[in-house]
Amino acid sequence: MKKLIGLLVICVLVLSACSSKSNDTADNGNSSGGNGGDKASKITVWAWDPNFNIKAMNLAKDAYAAKDPNLTVDIIENAQNDIVQKLNTGMSSGTTKGLPNIVLIEDYRAQSFLQAYPDMFYDLSGSIKAEDFADYKLGPTSVDGKHYGVPFDSGVAGLYVRTDYLEQAGYKISDLQDITWDQYIEIGKKVKAATGKDWISLDPNDLGVIRMMIQSAGLWYLDADGKTPNIANNAAMKEAFEVYKKLMGANIVKTHSDWSSLVANYNTGAVASIPTGNWFTPSITAEASQSGKWAIAPMPKLAKTPNSVHATSIGGSSWYVLNVPGKEKAAAFLKDTFGSDVDLYQKFVTDVGAIGTYKPAASGEAFSAANEFFGGQKIVSDFANWTTKIPNVNYGLHTYAIEDILIVEIQNFLNGKPLDDVLKDAQSQADAQVK
Amino acid sequence: MRNVLDRFKYNGLFVKMFLVMAAGIVAVSVTTTWTTINISSRVFIDTFSITNSKVINQIQSSLDSFNYSIIVTMNKIAQSGTIRQFLTEDDGDSSEMFNAYYLMGQQMNRYRSSVDAYDIGITVTGVNGRRYSTDRSYWPVPDSVLAEHPITKRSLAEPRKLIYSYDDAGASANPGLQPAIIASKALVDRSGAVYGMMYFAVREPYFARFYDSNTSAGNDVAVLDGQGTIVSSNRGDWIGRQSAELLRYAKEIDAKGLRYKNAEVMGKDQLLLAEQLGGLNLYMVNVIDKQQVLGQLTDTRRIALMVMAIVAATVLIVFLISRNLTKSLTRLVKQISTISKYEFDRHVKVDGSYETRQLGIAFNAMIDELNAYVGQLVETQKQRRNAELEALQQQINPHFLYNTLASVKFMVQQGSKDKAAETINALISLLQNAIGNVSEMITVQQELDNLKSYVLINQVRYGERIRVSYFIAPDCLAYRIPKLMIQPFIENAFFHAFNEKAEGYIHIMVTQEGSSLVCEVVDNGDGMNLSGEIPKPVSKRQLFSGIGVRNVNDRIKLLFGEGFGVTITSDIGEGTRVRIRIPLLKPKDPPTF
Repeated sequence: MKKLIGLLVICVLVLSACSSKSNDTADNGNSSGGNGGDKASKITVWAWDPNFNIKAMNLAKDAYAAKDPNLTVDIIENAQNDIVQKLNTGMSSGTTKGLPNIVLIEDYRAQSFLQAYPDMFYDLSGSIKAEDFADYKLGPTSVDGKHYGVPFDSGVAGLYVRTDYLEQAGYKISDLQDITWDQYIEIGKKVKAATGKDWISLDPNDLGVIRMMIQSAGLWYLDADGKTPNIANNAAMKEAFEVYKKLMGANIVKTHSDWSSLVANYNTGAVASIPTGNWFTPSITAEASQSGKWAIAPMPKLAKTPNSVHATSIGGSSWYVLNVPGKEKAAAFLKDTFGSDVDLYQKFVTDVGAIGTYKPAASGEAFSAANEFFGGQKIVSDFANWTTKIPNVNYGLHTYAIEDILIVEIQNFLNGKPLDDVLKDAQSQADAQVK
Repeated sequence: MRNVLDRFKYNGLFVKMFLVMAAGIVAVSVTTTWTTINISSRVFIDTFSITNSKVINQIQSSLDSFNYSIIVTMNKIAQSGTIRQFLTEDDGDSSEMFNAYYLMGQQMNRYRSSVDAYDIGITVTGVNGRRYSTDRSYWPVPDSVLAEHPITKRSLAEPRKLIYSYDDAGASANPGLQPAIIASKALVDRSGAVYGMMYFAVREPYFARFYDSNTSAGNDVAVLDGQGTIVSSNRGDWIGRQSAELLRYAKEIDAKGLRYKNAEVMGKDQLLLAEQLGGLNLYMVNVIDKQQVLGQLTDTRRIALMVMAIVAATVLIVFLISRNLTKSLTRLVKQISTISKYEFDRHVKVDGSYETRQLGIAFNAMIDELNAYVGQLVETQKQRRNAELEALQQQINPHFLYNTLASVKFMVQQGSKDKAAETINALISLLQNAIGNVSEMITVQQELDNLKSYVLINQVRYGERIRVSYFIAPDCLAYRIPKLMIQPFIENAFFHAFNEKAEGYIHIMVTQEGSSLVCEVVDNGDGMNLSGEIPKPVSKRQLFSGIGVRNVNDRIKLLFGEGFGVTITSDIGEGTRVRIRIPLLKPKDPPTF
């Protein structure tokens, strides 16, 4: 009988040992899964455009892997509108759940986020040397002297021109080096007469060309405070509108409705020039048959507006660290990549075609390389040079709101409404909307 | 082999008992486990399917409103004169074109806002080759390809129908295309002429959000179009796959109004729930991997392991207990079976369980009783035989008596009084010893006297042609021997050994050999044919007493055991030698019975 009881006790022990063992393994499985999601060793990045921003971020990730192999950088592609929407939703609700560690924000919109949600961004003043970046990028990325963004791509603009068409009209690229918009239009007319090709392609719902014109004069839709609309008494704006109408009147404008149709207009050779940002280069070079037929001239300037220079920008974007767990890791990541890695910036040029705004990088060899597609022109070097000359303006909080108003008003102007009335109406609408 | 068989024979009870119990335990455990798992699975699946069909209904209603907003927007686009103009007019000069694009942009922005709640990219194309997209990134198909795109063709084939299709890099051979769901419809004027196309593109992951939150590992959703292509799924690897079987099941479930269906899909045993998404002409199938989902409910492997462990432990206990029970029994049976073969007086060992001990005790008692009974029986038999022999010994053949007396009468008539007196004396002595002496054992001396008397009488009667001489070792005279032990052999020699020979002798020798007394009766008569046995008495005619040669041998063996007895050797014409061996019996020793 004793033996029996002993046996039973042993059995019970063995059984309980078995079951507790299986429990242990299950727990281990869970806990190891939990570790995988540890915030300290993983950061998330949101950006748009897989061929540009995402590509650059991947290069940075690879470069950083050598410095901190334990850090997982999860790069998630989202449409820009989605990012804006999600940031707005997340930040206004005050929850940081689901938000990334690093996010790319367009410079035009940056102030609206930085000022609306001041607590949600992590101060990077200690991580980057602000003076190493192009001046005009510091305005959008800073609030009250604190730097919240690491400036990324330069929105520096140039005038892309088909040299073969130009020559048919009797011009050379040297004739475009120091011109006004009025001269630009005159040349356009001649080119159209000689070749039958339009001179410029514009989207009636995007006033990028107006923005470039006014920034070249150091002015913007808004005053320097970033809040007060500056339309009715904006000399640059007035001249820009006139130029715009002259372009239409000269019948040298082709229309596009979006990026693809814009690119198609140039790749098919239907349009001869485009004043736009440097990131247009890959789209031009994509059409290999046009190699050697392109050149890039400095931007035309406004003739009547004082201070207008041959350098301007059309946007661009910068990286921001959100004030969520893992921000230190994210800041360190940006500091060692976009914030200081000269070699990485060379790779951006060679692999992505992205020109950064980090001044020390301009001395690198990728910047001084000649581009055969553009007839041996050192385009990166030129763009980098122009970048330093871009006037610094405050994009403020309402760039897009005011642009929506101007899109409508400029149509009225094209349809015959007097310019002063147009600007006055736009000013009063803008005042009403942003106040 | 034989050993194994033997072992099995002895352990048969244990083997049977153990096998039956073990089989029973295993059967009960397996049945119970199986039934429990089965019932819980069924209950779980029932509940699960009810919950999931509610979830599906919910998904359906949100998809309905999604579909409705697309339809509304499509209708607006189809009714818009601006858009129709944009899609049909020729390019004018810069201003006209610019104005047209501007108005188109404004118009489309307004329409887009009616589907703003969803991430939809709207594309319209016109017969004049113009194309307007609110956002191309959702479905970045180049203009050149769009006209020949399968989706365009499908819509043109049924211009009045809203068609949902799936597209990715593989489906339409456009590299870099992400999986997307495209709602397409042709723009038709009143006369029925097609003047353009509308495409509403949703990225698959966005579409998947309608149901994604209700899925989990093993609980997957697939949305199928009418061709059986999986247009959307929370399972990335399913998207874009062709699955005719899934479509067939979905149609069957929908047609028969089944709540759910069990089927083998994607190589697994699955539970299927399906619903036709009416307006979208799509089927939503909820594919539940039974194994995985039930695996969460019942960890079959763990249960099986535990049951196995319990069964193993129980079987072990049963093994030990039944082994313990049967081992003593088996040992007892083994002992008993050997006992029956060899000895009766050996007891079995009493140990083991209570029952076995009682059995052993009972068996031992039985053996004892049997033994006692057999001993008693042997004793009785012995006594009976003894009594018989004693009775025979007391008997004096009357023929002997009156033959002798007739001889004496002749002697008296012839006048030889001395001889007659001598004969009478010998007869008296003989009778005295044979009848009067009640003790069974007598000394060699007394037997010798008897023999002498008997020989004298015979010589008186038959003459002295047979001479008898006695060679008795003097130290043997005091030893005791059974009464009338030698006499029958003398008688035998007298009456049978000299039928052919006229005369001869008989020697009687008594000597001591080791611890036994040897008496020999040797004659030189006719001899006889012996087959190793003591010859049977020929007749009783001339016998002195009831004791014959054969009786003597029996008697000796009865009195002294198998080691003693009579041996006879004989040669024809040479004579016969009878040798009697008995133990040395001291005069004082009482006869051992």
